[in-house]
Amino acid sequence: MKRRQFVGLLGASALSLLLPGAALADDERKRRSTSTATSTTGTAPVLADTGATGSVVVVGGGMAGATAAKFLRLWGGSNVKVTLIDQNATYSSNIMSNLVLNGSTTMSQLTYNYNALKTLYGINFVQGSVVGIVPPVGTGMGSVRLANGTTIAANKIILAPGIEFDAVPGLTPALQDGYVTHAWKAGAQTTKLASQIRNMPVGGTFVMTIPASPYRCPPGPYERACIVADWVKKNKGPNARVIVLDANAGIQAEKHSFETAFNVTHAGVIDYRPNQTVASVTANTTGGKHAVTTNTGTVYADVLNVIPSHKAGKIITDNPALANVGGRWAGVDVRSYESSGVPNVYVIGDSAASGQPKAGHIANQEAKLCADAITRALRGDLIPNPAPKTNSACYSPITADTASWLTVVYGYDAVNNKMVAVPGAGPIEAAAASQDNFNDMKKWFATLMADSFA
Amino acid sequence: MYRFLAAASLAALFAYSQTATAAPPHPGRLLASNCFQCHGTDGRKGFEELAGKSSSSIYEEMKEMQAKAADQNIMNAHARGFSDNEIWLIADYFSKVSR
Repeated sequence: MKRRQFVGLLGASALSLLLPGAALADDERKRRSTSTATSTTGTAPVLADTGATGSVVVVGGGMAGATAAKFLRLWGGSNVKVTLIDQNATYSSNIMSNLVLNGSTTMSQLTYNYNALKTLYGINFVQGSVVGIVPPVGTGMGSVRLANGTTIAANKIILAPGIEFDAVPGLTPALQDGYVTHAWKAGAQTTKLASQIRNMPVGGTFVMTIPASPYRCPPGPYERACIVADWVKKNKGPNARVIVLDANAGIQAEKHSFETAFNVTHAGVIDYRPNQTVASVTANTTGGKHAVTTNTGTVYADVLNVIPSHKAGKIITDNPALANVGGRWAGVDVRSYESSGVPNVYVIGDSAASGQPKAGHIANQEAKLCADAITRALRGDLIPNPAPKTNSACYSPITADTASWLTVVYGYDAVNNKMVAVPGAGPIEAAAASQDNFNDMKKWFATLMADSFA
Repeated sequence: MYRFLAAASLAALFAYSQTATAAPPHPGRLLASNCFQCHGTDGRKGFEELAGKSSSSIYEEMKEMQAKAADQNIMNAHARGFSDNEIWLIADYFSKVSR
């Protein structure tokens, strides 16, 4: 029997499977392969025959996809063939990228390659754009098709495309011409925003907007406000201001840490305004102030940073059976991350509606859970993990040398088939920001990236 | 005493998995992978190395951290997310990883 194409299966148009910008770290397409932080000096693990046999294709080489590929080899063993596909030759870390804004680090220092995954773990890395998917049926093979015509067969397909932005009137041309940034997919946008902040006039105003939840990295926008405030008050005089327009009714993560930061540490510099939904953006192309209009009025900015609201990557939203949560996110079985709409296709990371935050640390754990579940399936063991646990943890810089932290451990709620915070285990945040936390943050980041990419 | 009984029974339960080629993985592996982000893959590198540590020392440290103020240390908070049995499984996993 000839396998039906995904397009037929979903009743979608053929065009909907064209994914010209499949949203994998979009800013880094033109990126050069400069020095990267991933080394290949580690020792290759000896992979045993675990009884699991099959081929897995992972689409998207961010925190979730890279980790899934690594652990499929590490846990699946010698007979599990893994192909990792990304549009880019390297990955630009979103984590720590706010520290590019105050000059503490650079995007090239936050760039990771796939060399260790290739040489130590035997992963087949393919740079390319995915334009079509044929979901595997039963224990048979499906496939992933690339823009260059290549087709890669797989028993299981993992999608980890990250996020896509909703349109904001006026924003697209302003982004394209470089007058306004989102800097929420780290890369050239981040470097651009850093340079705009550096060139802001003395006493100038930096305005940023925060989208309605759910969005990637819940503490991230508040962290950005702190880092920029800390820098402008040292470099742009006593009248420099950071205005934060939040679509949400209040701070979305680390409320205690950021309230302290806004009201004490950076008091008088940060002007936080909740319930502000962005309606439009007007870039000033002649060097004057940009305008952002919300439900309550217009705010003018010397530097304007607009983070639009999010949805799942295009590869998900183009396919209604995958985007089965409001047409915006991928519903998954949190015991395996298998799509609740398309068998044998798994969705991990920011595109999944898993009840957990959208962030790199927990995406790494979702990837391990998915790798474990697929390994079990490829052994012919159909018993799902009965009680998965995951954890979310992050450190947030509050100034150039202090940080806070946040953690939650999630457990499985079998009644509702979702992950919920374990009672008493979070969200818990640091009592106070400190230099010790800042140093721990660097170690956490280095270890997390090594667990994902090396 | 619960602790040592549990340790003994776990050791007996998992002894076979060390030799068979295609035996099921250690039942603590996936749980323990929650530690890898900060303690390194399989507990090698990162903050305190867990690979090859005795299961009783990992268990005792986790129980001590559970009892301390959660907002003073990220591990005090984190330790609260796991049951005694889960901590045992995690500890047993790391104790069997070679350094």
